[in-house]
Amino acid sequence: MSAGPYNYSYIFKYIIIGDMGVGKSCLLHQFTEKKFMADCPHTIGVEFGTRIIEVSGQKIKLQIWDTAGQERFRAVTRSYYRGAAGALMVYDITRRSTYNHLSSWLTDTRNLTNPSTVIFLIGNKCDLDAQRDVTYEEASKFAEENGLMFVEASAKTGDNVEEAFLETAKKIYQSIQDGRLDLNAAESGVQHKPSQPGRNNLSNDQQGNKDNCAC
Amino acid sequence: MIVKKENEYMLSKRFNKVLETELEADEDTLEALKQLSTFYSENTLPSRRDLRSKIEKRSLDININLLSSFSKVKDTFMSIYNDIVEMNRCVDEITCKLQNSKQRSKALLQQTSMLYSGRNKNTVYQKIVSPFLNKVQLSPDESLILYGNQRSSSLTHATFSVLDKIQQIHNYSRILMRCGLQTVALDTMEHMVLHQEEALENIYRWTQNHCRYVDNLELTELIANAMSKLQDRPPLFRYIIDEYCVGRRSILVSAFIDALTKGGPSGKPAPIEMKAHDIQIYVTDMFVWLYKAISVEQQNLLQMLKFCDNIDSDFILDTLIKVCDGICQPLKIRIEKVLGVPTQAVILYSVLNLLRYYKKCICKILPRGSLENTLVNLQNMGEQVFFTTLQQEINNMFIKIESPVRDLVPTPAIHNLLALLRDMLSTANMNDGREIDMKKITQYIIEPLLRCVNEQASHLPALDMSIYTVNCIYDIFTCLSMFEFMDEFLERLQAQADAQIDNLTAEQASFLVANLNIGPIYTILQDSQREPLSTIPGMEPSNLQKFFLKLEQFITSPELTLLPQFDLLLSSKYKRVVEKRSREVVLAIYTQLFEAVNNPQNQYENPSSLCHKTPDELKESILL
Repeated sequence: MSAGPYNYSYIFKYIIIGDMGVGKSCLLHQFTEKKFMADCPHTIGVEFGTRIIEVSGQKIKLQIWDTAGQERFRAVTRSYYRGAAGALMVYDITRRSTYNHLSSWLTDTRNLTNPSTVIFLIGNKCDLDAQRDVTYEEASKFAEENGLMFVEASAKTGDNVEEAFLETAKKIYQSIQDGRLDLNAAESGVQHKPSQPGRNNLSNDQQGNKDNCAC
Repeated sequence: MIVKKENEYMLSKRFNKVLETELEADEDTLEALKQLSTFYSENTLPSRRDLRSKIEKRSLDININLLSSFSKVKDTFMSIYNDIVEMNRCVDEITCKLQNSKQRSKALLQQTSMLYSGRNKNTVYQKIVSPFLNKVQLSPDESLILYGNQRSSSLTHATFSVLDKIQQIHNYSRILMRCGLQTVALDTMEHMVLHQEEALENIYRWTQNHCRYVDNLELTELIANAMSKLQDRPPLFRYIIDEYCVGRRSILVSAFIDALTKGGPSGKPAPIEMKAHDIQIYVTDMFVWLYKAISVEQQNLLQMLKFCDNIDSDFILDTLIKVCDGICQPLKIRIEKVLGVPTQAVILYSVLNLLRYYKKCICKILPRGSLENTLVNLQNMGEQVFFTTLQQEINNMFIKIESPVRDLVPTPAIHNLLALLRDMLSTANMNDGREIDMKKITQYIIEPLLRCVNEQASHLPALDMSIYTVNCIYDIFTCLSMFEFMDEFLERLQAQADAQIDNLTAEQASFLVANLNIGPIYTILQDSQREPLSTIPGMEPSNLQKFFLKLEQFITSPELTLLPQFDLLLSSKYKRVVEKRSREVVLAIYTQLFEAVNNPQNQYENPSSLCHKTPDELKESILL
């Protein structure tokens, strides 16, 4: 329903998840505004951000849901997993507990998203290396074991932030090229071209819903 | 003998004569004889002897008598003679005198005729000179007009025609100069310069006193003319303009204060400050007045300078800016006061828009200067106050967030905030440059609004949460979609709605699948089919028969298999979408089943009696 020039070929839906205070909103802000938001308030439910990027010469619009880390919003945030093509799972390298919760986040993601969803693990706050509580190797191993992409980033300095979002997009784009991702399925998190005005973009997706029923 | 002969002759002659005398014929002798008879009376001897003597005596007597008579005559004659001599002398004298006077009158005549011809010449000169003088000199009347009565120093249109004449004379002088009449020309020029200076001095004094009354119709033309004359004297011109600025500034300020506090003549229109309690009217009235007054000032200034040809627009603008200087302070104080009073954001917004509108209007006339500066500052202040107030108002609304009631419609707080948003956007929609405003306002309201919805939704069970969120978003979406420039927000809302619709679709599809009991069938169908399906428990024809029966029921009354909460969805469109998509799931499974049943590999007997409908037929009955 969005008007304006459709100068992009795909919409990819992302979701950012992880414990409270790991810097999800800051990552999003850094990615969309290229600025660090110093005292970011707690996210209530979900926040939303967009940015148009380019992958292999294709303009792609990223619709990013930044979820609340607080447990009480879990019900709200869960409803945004379903349509995600990419999931950025964030932990704080200075707080081990946030790393320890990754497996539960991963389970959630696996359960609620479709199998082709690209999950990207981000160890945030890498600028605070002195206070590091989780080693790179450990996290890297965890990522490898679970088939996740991994990078350590800093929303404050902007290190690797761009890369994390772009790599995820590349991987999704690759899936599309390989045919692993069915574009017609709404819950693939990918739309080919923005929907035409007035037409609900949620129609005609038997395949996707079939998957839903299965879980 | 000769002598005797002679004597004898003589005597004979005499005798003859006596004898020949005829007495009767000789009157003299008769007379003498008559006379003799008077005294010879008797013829006696004595008498004869005496006769002679007597006659002689008588003759003597007569002679004596005659003599005496003659002497008398002579005397008379002498006296006459004397008189005549005298007369002669007098006449001579007169003649002499006449001669003299004749001499003299001749000179006079000569002089007269000379004078006469001189006069003729002069008349001709005069005829030539007087038009010349008329051309190169001021008439006494004109001088009077020019110098006038020093005390009253009035100015009339005549003054300007005289000044024009002076100018013209100046030009003539130049012509004269070229013709070689340097002396006259220089003289005239000198004179005219003096006149001109004096006249300009008079005009300057008059204008200085009167320039502030340029709006007086009787004076406008005069002042305009005066200014056009004075523009050749930049210092005087500048003084006048300075004087004008000072004068008009104080007139403008006092008129503004009067309009605010006293109103028009006899209180009509009412003083603007009477309506100070309604700040919209108050601010509008002030600006309407101000805008009008500034336009009038501009007109005045243009009127005043209309005959001046060397005036650039910058100069006029600078002058106008100076005139309008004074108004800044009273205006600023009042607007700041208005903005300082706690007011509803909606009202503040309309005030802000008034500020912007009139700032734009006034800045068209005055694109710089202190008034423009003041207006910019006031506008900035207005914006700041407005957004602070808006923020405050929104925060107040969310002090306590009520939980949604059972019918899952947006709560009053959401409604109120949306109403506020709608009001603001409707107002904003009419402004220039509304895009920025509308986006900013929407940003200010929509963020806390969505946060509030999320907060409320987080307390609800999953299904209710989705429905409540969709309902709220639907309302917000409907509200925003009435306005321009909302794409960015609509996209976000759409995305959020989509996520929830997906949820609802999943829920409804699961509900349908459970209701129709096709879960197991679907699971079996998904399995790799190594053995014929008809032999697998749960896929035997009798079991499928039950499913088809249920499917029939579903087709006849599909509404029974709708999750009860779906009635709470406000948007029938969303409801239809969810329904349709959940049915598509059923259709997809049915299609798979139909193919499986009709696949000979699966060894179903008489598949067509088992599956009455083709997938297309089913699609027709549940999707169209």
